Amino acid sequence: MGALLEIGLFVTLLALGYGVGRVLERRHYASIRRRERELADVLAFTMRFPPASTRAQDAFLVCGSVVVSSDYFKTFVAGLRGLVGGRFRGYESLLERARREALLRLKQDALARGARLVVCVRFESTSITSGRTPSIEVVAYGTALVPRPR
Amino acid sequence: MKLRNRAPAEGINAGEEHPLREFAWLAGGAIAVLVAAVVALSLGAQWLAPKLPYRYEARLVGELPAPAAPKDERGRAALAELQALADRLAARMALPEGLRVTVGLRDEGIVNAYATLGGHTVFFRGLVARLDSEDALATVMAHEIAHLALRHPAAALGRGLAVGLVLSVVSAEAGRGVAGAALGQTASLTLLSFNREQEREADRQALRVVAAEYGHVGGAIDLFEAFESMRRARGEGGAPQVEWLQTHPLTERRAQAARDWAAAHGVPADGARRPLPPALAALRGGAAVQR
Repeated sequence: MGALLEIGLFVTLLALGYGVGRVLERRHYASIRRRERELADVLAFTMRFPPASTRAQDAFLVCGSVVVSSDYFKTFVAGLRGLVGGRFRGYESLLERARREALLRLKQDALARGARLVVCVRFESTSITSGRTPSIEVVAYGTALVPRPR
Repeated sequence: MKLRNRAPAEGINAGEEHPLREFAWLAGGAIAVLVAAVVALSLGAQWLAPKLPYRYEARLVGELPAPAAPKDERGRAALAELQALADRLAARMALPEGLRVTVGLRDEGIVNAYATLGGHTVFFRGLVARLDSEDALATVMAHEIAHLALRHPAAALGRGLAVGLVLSVVSAEAGRGVAGAALGQTASLTLLSFNREQEREADRQALRVVAAEYGHVGGAIDLFEAFESMRRARGEGGAPQVEWLQTHPLTERRAQAARDWAAAHGVPADGARRPLPPALAALRGGAAVQR
């Protein structure tokens, strides 16, 4: 019966990881899209210098960071994917959410300090895998500019 | 230049494909390949083992110590009776050239016996103490000798090595993660099915030998029924057994298979049982053998 228990536990964890992971992912995407609309007037760009038309009175560093973790199901499929290679869609959506969330937090930081424009935005990520289920941190940072009043 | 941010593009960086579709392809493919590899390796080992001259196996195990021999007089007498029974039954079987069955007796309460490399068969006191007749004991003995005659220990060794090698590569690739563990589980379940097939084959040979020696297979049916009642006594009677998780065929099926075999070969399923030889019978009273 021990082996049966082990298989049962494994299937349960897999189903739990899939079900809960799927619900959380859907909710997270909904929240990301809503906040992206709300923060649509905070602009973020990757260029190194502010556009010539911008007359900034203040500039400071803003930053948004997020840590996301894979789930049991994704990690299991990733293990199988590691055998044959190829595009792994489970991690693609995980990391896309992380990047969009990090950018949102950066914009939130900028808005809270009165800025509507962020330039020189960069992304960085660090894997913080310690256990069996990998997690990753994604950081977005940039220079926020507060326009001079007319 | 007009500066504006558009909403992030959807469906470019992250695919829309349903995760279960990818899972089904990957898991199904990995399991299919692994099962095919284990089956191929097992069949290969099974095919090769009887063709391998026994002297190579003997050389391999030549360095290993002989099975534990009892140290006291009663134990030695019981062992001598077991060995005599083994010799008598082995004479009725086609053993590989150079293989001599050597019996060991271990003073442990476990209800078990096994056959291993080098023609060694080991009986545990717990098993002998549970049997009522020489017929039943001879069924176990013939079953173990059949494993030796069919070179099952050598096949198991080759199979174990080959499958272990494949698994070590696969699980290294699949990471330390759960995928590797799950694939290992798949492989061991596949191996178990081979194990059960070997047990069925050993049972069939044992029935043939027991029928030739005693004129009926009543002892074999006694044995399998005793196993079944022991299982029930352990409190496992209520829970249905799942055959594909077991090393042996289900005990109730083994008893039925013995009856079917007897009917098919025109051998009586019942007859007078021969009593156990005296020293072996003495083990039944809880008299322990000193190792």
